[in-house]
Amino acid sequence: MDPKLTEVAQLFARFKAAYARNDLDACVTLLSQLKVQLTKFPSLPPLFQQTPNAVEELKLARDIYEHAVVLSVKLEDQDAFERDFCQLKPYYMDTCGIIPPSPEEYPILGLNLLRLLVQNRIAEFHTELELLPVKALDHPCIKHAVELEQSFMEGAYNRVLSARQAVPHETYVYFMDLLAKTVRDEIAGCSEKGYDSLSISDAKQMLMFSSDQELHQYITEEHPEWEIKNGSVFFQKAKESQPCKEIPSLQLINQTLSYARELERIV
Amino acid sequence: MVSSAGSLLAMLQEPAPELKLHALASLNSLVHAFWHEISTSVSSIESLYEDEEFDQRQLAALVASKVFFYLGELNDALSYALGAGALFDVSDDSDYSQTLLAKALDEYAAIQSRAAGEDKTMDPRLEAIVERMLDKCILDGKYQQAMGMAVECRRLDKLEGAISQCDNLHGALSYCINLSHQYVSHREYRLEILQCLVKIYQTSPNPDYLSICQCLMFLDEPETVASILDKLISGSNVCTIFLLYQTIDDALLAYQTAFDLAENENQAFLLNVRNHLDALSSARSDADSRATNAATEPSGDVQMGDDVNMPNGTALTVDPVKVAHADRLTKIKNILSGETSIQLTLQFLYSHNRSDLLILKTIKQAVEMRNSVCHSATICSNAIMHAGTTVDTFLRENLEWLGRATNWSKFSATAGLGVIHRGHLQQGRALMAPYLPQNGAVGSASPYSEGGALYALGLIHANHGEGIKEFLRESLRNTSSEVVQHGACLGLGLAALGTADEEICEDIKNVLYTDSAVAGEAAGIGMGLLMVGTASEKATEMLAYAHDTQHEKIIRGLSLGIALTVYGREEEADTLIEQMTRDQDPILRYGGMYALALAYRGTANNKAIHQLLHFAVSDVSDDVRRTAVLALGFVLYNEPEQTPRIVSLLSESYNPHVRYGAALAVGISCAGTGLSEAISLLEPLTSDVVDFVRQGALIAMAMVMIQINESYDSRVGAFRRKLEKIILDKHEDTMSKMGAILASGILDAGGRNVTIKLKSKSKHDRLTAVIGLAVFTQFWYWYPLTYFISLAFSPTALIGLNSDLKVPKFEFLSNAKPSLFDYPKPTTQQTATASVKVPTAILSTYAKAKSRAKKDAESKAKEKAEVAPPPSEDASAASTSMQLWLLSQVDAAAAEKKGPEPEPQFQLLTNPARVIPTQEKFIKFLEDSRYEPVKTAPSGFVLLRDLKPTEAEELVLTDAPSTAAGTNAPAPSASEQGSGAMAVDEEPQPPPAFEYTS
Repeated sequence: MDPKLTEVAQLFARFKAAYARNDLDACVTLLSQLKVQLTKFPSLPPLFQQTPNAVEELKLARDIYEHAVVLSVKLEDQDAFERDFCQLKPYYMDTCGIIPPSPEEYPILGLNLLRLLVQNRIAEFHTELELLPVKALDHPCIKHAVELEQSFMEGAYNRVLSARQAVPHETYVYFMDLLAKTVRDEIAGCSEKGYDSLSISDAKQMLMFSSDQELHQYITEEHPEWEIKNGSVFFQKAKESQPCKEIPSLQLINQTLSYARELERIV
Repeated sequence: MVSSAGSLLAMLQEPAPELKLHALASLNSLVHAFWHEISTSVSSIESLYEDEEFDQRQLAALVASKVFFYLGELNDALSYALGAGALFDVSDDSDYSQTLLAKALDEYAAIQSRAAGEDKTMDPRLEAIVERMLDKCILDGKYQQAMGMAVECRRLDKLEGAISQCDNLHGALSYCINLSHQYVSHREYRLEILQCLVKIYQTSPNPDYLSICQCLMFLDEPETVASILDKLISGSNVCTIFLLYQTIDDALLAYQTAFDLAENENQAFLLNVRNHLDALSSARSDADSRATNAATEPSGDVQMGDDVNMPNGTALTVDPVKVAHADRLTKIKNILSGETSIQLTLQFLYSHNRSDLLILKTIKQAVEMRNSVCHSATICSNAIMHAGTTVDTFLRENLEWLGRATNWSKFSATAGLGVIHRGHLQQGRALMAPYLPQNGAVGSASPYSEGGALYALGLIHANHGEGIKEFLRESLRNTSSEVVQHGACLGLGLAALGTADEEICEDIKNVLYTDSAVAGEAAGIGMGLLMVGTASEKATEMLAYAHDTQHEKIIRGLSLGIALTVYGREEEADTLIEQMTRDQDPILRYGGMYALALAYRGTANNKAIHQLLHFAVSDVSDDVRRTAVLALGFVLYNEPEQTPRIVSLLSESYNPHVRYGAALAVGISCAGTGLSEAISLLEPLTSDVVDFVRQGALIAMAMVMIQINESYDSRVGAFRRKLEKIILDKHEDTMSKMGAILASGILDAGGRNVTIKLKSKSKHDRLTAVIGLAVFTQFWYWYPLTYFISLAFSPTALIGLNSDLKVPKFEFLSNAKPSLFDYPKPTTQQTATASVKVPTAILSTYAKAKSRAKKDAESKAKEKAEVAPPPSEDASAASTSMQLWLLSQVDAAAAEKKGPEPEPQFQLLTNPARVIPTQEKFIKFLEDSRYEPVKTAPSGFVLLRDLKPTEAEELVLTDAPSTAAGTNAPAPSASEQGSGAMAVDEEPQPPPAFEYTS
């Protein structure tokens, strides 16, 4: 076996050990070392050179990145997740026929879909979905994400929230928690449009808070423009900010008519 | 391949710098495929470039530059490419680097060429890139590319570097000269380049004096030219007989240089060179006499090696060298003064005259008696047809008919003599004597013929007026008749063309201030001719007077004169042009158009073209619009292929004046080219509904088709028939009839041996020709000015000269079918008794059969490259007019044995020979000939190096036309016999010897 490859494999073994004992700091440092090491293999994307160890190298690299993704979930670092996932993606998309598909492929893809849903990036969510083969949609992980999205779009938020109980993979829990917040934001946005004001108790129920305390905190953090008065929440301010765009129709009609008259006079 | 660059872009966000670097490097190699993906996150790459701590900022800049390139943001791409520094590879031949290099060059050139006042701050990185590219071109041996870039970017230092490293120095220099004339539109900068080139030339071990002198002429440095010529004729290593051959070669080179300079017709410059030569040689002879002993002793030593003989030896060697030097000096001076070339040209035109008197006869009979326009047009046509040949048979035969010319027609008729005898410098005055004003006795002849005679003298001496100037001045001062003044002013202007002589100027100005319309007009033009190309202060004075005077004629003359003064000054003339084109008076605006045309003659300057096109469609006066279109012809004559395209829309204008202008513009710029597009454009115009458009189109067509024969372009034959039809048609308008008459004159101008050429062989502008055509176009207002077209004629001949400036017998090859460039067939008529009635095809087979029969008997004796003496039986059997052609036929048959083609593929020509411009590329010099040309030019004067100087030389063309009787006598060579016989057989009459003094 190639010495470089052995070295990386050993390093990866240390990473896995650290991961197993939940030493996250050590994991992060080891991971960044691993990534730097990986840049030295020409068989990896984007070059895909046909080296003798290409298959092993590719497999190893894919494994490393899969772990990186899972680690980022554990670290609750969404940026790192996106970065790592992007780097992992070529191993899924462009290595067909070189290495066998990974067992982790669909869970991680599903995780990514979930992330996009959480970040409310619906357009990208659908782009990703289109890129998947038809049979992938039957996979429970993917199916889960798709169903969530449908409920989310329908406005069946209770279904979204209850889905937390039926996660297909343990890593999904983090994103499901985040999803609750996304749902709340959606509801808040709709309420703003739908009502002038809401009583505090209604608002609490609507936004799924268990206490007034939490509601107040949410309002001050996310919607400082809302006003709490007389036991009600007023959304007025937000509405006032939008100017009324009424068309000055009468004036326009008058002008047009006078132009027509004058034109006739000229001719 | 990956399917997306997303992973790399994600890697770019990694905190570890190694990863960023890896990502950048990969992106750099993939950017051509994924630029669209990268473009969304180009800002992160930009921020990497701006990050001072990142150690691969240049790579980031390169990637960013590539992305911007693909996005089409070339400015951003360039600025990042500059940031990439050394990573930007100038040797890459991808689209990216090629495009950006071009962009960088453009940018650099644009900054460099900004005028002095503007912001000229140069990005040092841009400069570095351009320099890297130049260096690389030089290293790769792409010298021409490097030179082109250096010229474009105004980097004369690099230009010098490229030329000095180039292995083919002469090629490089001539390429540069070409470049500077064709592509450098800024005059001052062009002069700088030429200066630089001359510097390089002079340092080279084996300088090409021909080209140096051309450059120096442009730079207007007569002293340097004179010293070079002087060096050449005196031989750099004085007085060793061993070096005699060397000095003869040098002298030949000097003569050739002088001929080339004389061809450019810059009279003032040539005069200066001559004066400096005199000064130099007198200085030298002083120095020589003092240093004789010191200088000759060592050479005598080398030469003799015998001490006893030494004093004798030096005495013997010094003397002949001095004599030879003096002899050469006179020769050089004669060449520079133009006398030699004029005389040789005159002999050539006279001996090869092939004009067709039948055409004239037809015209004369067709023209109505009373119609004076057509009458004088016929006289004019005759003059043009015989321009420079000194053959005035037609006039002599029709003296009575000629006498119908009265008043101004008389003036024109007399002036026509000047055209016929053009260049007859020695006899000119004697010739015109009967018509000239007599001193003392006032007006035996009418003032019209007197004025015409003065004008004729000017035409004879055009641009070579040293000898006649004084006489013309005197005549001007001694007369008060405005007609005589008119002629004298024109004559003086022509004779003293471009000399800017103060005294003459004063004399003409006095005439101008008499405020007489007729004389004033000529005075205005005359002053312009005198001041051609000097851009002198006089122009403002003239402009002021043009505002004062009431006479339209004077204003017109003056405005043309002003235009003449700015000839060739390009940007320098801009203020004056601006002043004229903004004037209230349409006549001055009209002059402004001419000023634009002449200032930017032959430069194809975009600004000038724009301005002219603008005036052509927007001015309120028809005259101005017509002239604006016409002026395009002058601006574009260096690129004749462009003109038809540019004026094609204008030629379909609703305004007949614009159509007329378009026709003449094509005629001027495509003159003598026979360009197919030009003919196609003119053809519909020759049957326009408006008479004067037809006139212009016919004249323009004749100018384009001059010297083109029917087998070269079949439309020539159709055009000739059309001319005949128009002339014979009773119901045709006078205007177009006149156009047709003039056109037939131009078509056969100068005995069919001249063409209209606005550029000399060295690609310089022929001042006289351009001026001639410019004034010629004035015939719209004033018919006598038609004769100015004769200034534009240039003989199409190759005249080989030996070191005595004599014409030796010498042969060379024209590698094309003879019929392609032959003279047009003479016209035949029922009344004509000319012998040639048989079509050529029959003749050729007949000749062929004959020759084949003969061949059995004597073909073995014939050798390939040799012309056999013509068998006498053949000569009597076949028409002698076909003899020359037949000779090569025999020759070809001998060479090929079978020869199924009806025509040979080549033709042997004998010095001096007619070589028309389209034929030039087929001219080859024979390898094993006795003479070797100094410069392998396909036409013009070529000095020949004699490889067997000990043998006796056979000379041809030794007779001047004034001793015409001798033409046929010394004709030893076969072809000379042919041409002599030709004249006898084919033309109605050979010119008899006549006495001018009667």
